[in-house]
Amino acid sequence: MKHIGTIASRELKSLFVSPVAYVVLTLWSVIAGTFFLASLLGFNERLLRAQQLQAYQAMSEMNLNDHLIEPFIGSMWVILLFLLPAITMGLVASEKANGTDELLLTSPLSIWDIVFGKFLAGTGFVTLMTVIVAFFPAILFYYGDPELGKTLAGLLALLLVSISYVAIGIFASSVTRNQLIAFVLTLVMLLVIGMMLPFIVDISLSGSAPSSDAGFAEAVRWLSTGNHIDRMLQGLIDTSDLAYYAITSAGFLLLAKTVIESSRWR
Amino acid sequence: MTGESSTPQAIEVEGLEKRYGDFLAVRELSFSISAGEVVGLLGPNGAGKTTTMRILTGFISATNGVARIAGHDIFTDALNAKRCVGYLPETPPLYPEMTPKSYVDFVAKLKDVPRTKRKDAVEHALSRCGLIEVRNREIRQLSKGFRQRVGLAQAIVHEPAVLILDEPTVGLDPIQIREIRALIEELAETGRQTVILSTHILAEVEAICQRVILIDRGRKVLDQPLSELIGGGQSLEEVFTQVMTRDEIHEDTEDAA
Repeated sequence: MKHIGTIASRELKSLFVSPVAYVVLTLWSVIAGTFFLASLLGFNERLLRAQQLQAYQAMSEMNLNDHLIEPFIGSMWVILLFLLPAITMGLVASEKANGTDELLLTSPLSIWDIVFGKFLAGTGFVTLMTVIVAFFPAILFYYGDPELGKTLAGLLALLLVSISYVAIGIFASSVTRNQLIAFVLTLVMLLVIGMMLPFIVDISLSGSAPSSDAGFAEAVRWLSTGNHIDRMLQGLIDTSDLAYYAITSAGFLLLAKTVIESSRWR
Repeated sequence: MTGESSTPQAIEVEGLEKRYGDFLAVRELSFSISAGEVVGLLGPNGAGKTTTMRILTGFISATNGVARIAGHDIFTDALNAKRCVGYLPETPPLYPEMTPKSYVDFVAKLKDVPRTKRKDAVEHALSRCGLIEVRNREIRQLSKGFRQRVGLAQAIVHEPAVLILDEPTVGLDPIQIREIRALIEELAETGRQTVILSTHILAEVEAICQRVILIDRGRKVLDQPLSELIGGGQSLEEVFTQVMTRDEIHEDTEDAA
């Protein structure tokens, strides 16, 4: 396991000399700025309208956390689904395309070194993305007084969900040598796991008796990211949600390791 | 039988077999190479040369058989075996965005070169391969000959006991071929390294190898010292043509030549 750092630092350096990293970071920052501004203006307008209507009840319920920061981070999560695959697509696929997998697999290191090294590099990158997002709520602390704990919980949710998506991306990248295929595969997997699972369950169970598959439906819903991120965005840090991110990451890293290992036997 | 000697052979292969589906890429391959030998692995395209080398380096597994590098089994004692091997695949495994220096340094870390010796090892490998003047340029900007040298530098940076080179001169121009060849010769002489290299070029074998292993359709058909082979006044080409014809594989002889 001592080569994780070697693999990770090389990966990060390569990522930051490639245009992809800068394109993603630029888009991410611009979109974050736009969404934040839009949320801010929307918040302001609702506040003004409530004032005009003298809806004091509504006004007292409005706060920066629930009506600005939470939806802002929530929308950045949706953007993440589309941008993250660009970062993870090359993590393993490019090694195969370059032939450098032959170097890694004939060097005295374990496949876990490779997988964790890639994972660490990806985690470093999404941490930077989260820091960029964190910059915007930080502005609010200068002018207003949002709750710190709730804000941090939201950012942590974004970070954890990003990290588990990195694991998914590494898996998708390990099954092909073509980065475009890895990108599309990751995107599809993220859309299904992130957003579509609950709908798929609802549609497929709509005709059957409610009791028979309730457990199954519940399990599939648990697999979807949506519920977990929502609760954490509201400031609730639940062990079940933390376990979800840990299980997703570990599961897909294990799959990636198995896929890489199996190439030796083909 | 070969495993009983007190000092392990540099490379020992016993009954190696590799199957891809129905296709037997390597069958019942056995040979052993002692330390310091320079051996040419020859054969027509698709004979199993690359497959054999990939098994020896641990890149792929064998279906059957044993392979040992400096006494370490490549399947059960993989990490120790891999530490003893320097490997240049057919296409050098390069990261185009890195510089030769940072790349060779990265490989030195992967190969467990101790931190204190790493800087010297990298410098040494770069200078031996004639890469000093281009060490800080991006690999993607380098010519094919230089890339091949970077690949070679990567293979020797940890001063491995065994050097495995898969067609090290393929696709190079005559001058580059001569340079790479001279480099391999020098490595074999001064580095006391065991070298096993695959090639199509018989002149290359005559120039640098002491021994020849000829494989065809996954089987070993010849294993002899070079001096014996060309001792009878025949050229290497004639010898090979005879062996391959004797092996009743007429269609592949042109490739071998």
